[in-house]
Amino acid sequence: MKLSDREMNSIVILEPRGKIMGGPDASLLHDKLYEMIENDKKRIVIDLAGVEWMNSTGLGILISSYTTLRNHQGELKLANVTDKIRSLLTITKLVTVFEAYDTVDEAVQSFK
Amino acid sequence: MAKPVINGDTIKVPSNPEFLSDVDLFLEGTLRGFGVDESAVADIAISVSELVNNAMIHGNKSSLDKVVTVKITRTQEGVMVIVSDEGIGFDPGIVPDPIADENLLHEVGRGLFIVRSLMDKVDVKATNTGTTVAVTKVV
Repeated sequence: MKLSDREMNSIVILEPRGKIMGGPDASLLHDKLYEMIENDKKRIVIDLAGVEWMNSTGLGILISSYTTLRNHQGELKLANVTDKIRSLLTITKLVTVFEAYDTVDEAVQSFK
Repeated sequence: MAKPVINGDTIKVPSNPEFLSDVDLFLEGTLRGFGVDESAVADIAISVSELVNNAMIHGNKSSLDKVVTVKITRTQEGVMVIVSDEGIGFDPGIVPDPIADENLLHEVGRGLFIVRSLMDKVDVKATNTGTTVAVTKVV
């Protein structure tokens, strides 16, 4: 997995790419998230357009990101959730946990 | 064994998550060689990554002296993948229900649940010399 980030209207957009399956991937996203929180950037969108698939380790990273941000009065939203990942979120009922939007723009606009 | 070893339809890797991508590369290449469609390739790849993670962590307890073996077979009904470890046996029955409301925000514990959802057959055999999981996808 590779990871890049950018900002739009003071919202951080994280853009992982590839497959999120564990190993070295696991710490990359988590470390970036903590770096953002330390820099007082707590409104984050994860753009999943470039993620081919993820397994339960990837879902665990999303949950960890969600709860960490929530505990720091932040918010996490998802954008461009692919069919394969949406299917995983559905069968694991995590679709009830995450706010997901069709585009990054819509996710950014959803922050009040 | 310090590095992955490929022999025909089988790959053996040390119990280090760093080698998950080697297993995935071998698996996906083999599946595409069988002519499996991309959606099924992803389902099988996700499932095998779960099983190899489990085998390394829960089976082999991350011991680098112990290996995980992945064997891929084209069968009449589809594709069968067998993942084996060298641990002391893993009881899948003790994993809490990952879709119970109280467990939804747990970061771990969904692996085998996802495998059972994505694959058509899942057969777990745990003995005191290791756990073998055979999964089949009808394609």
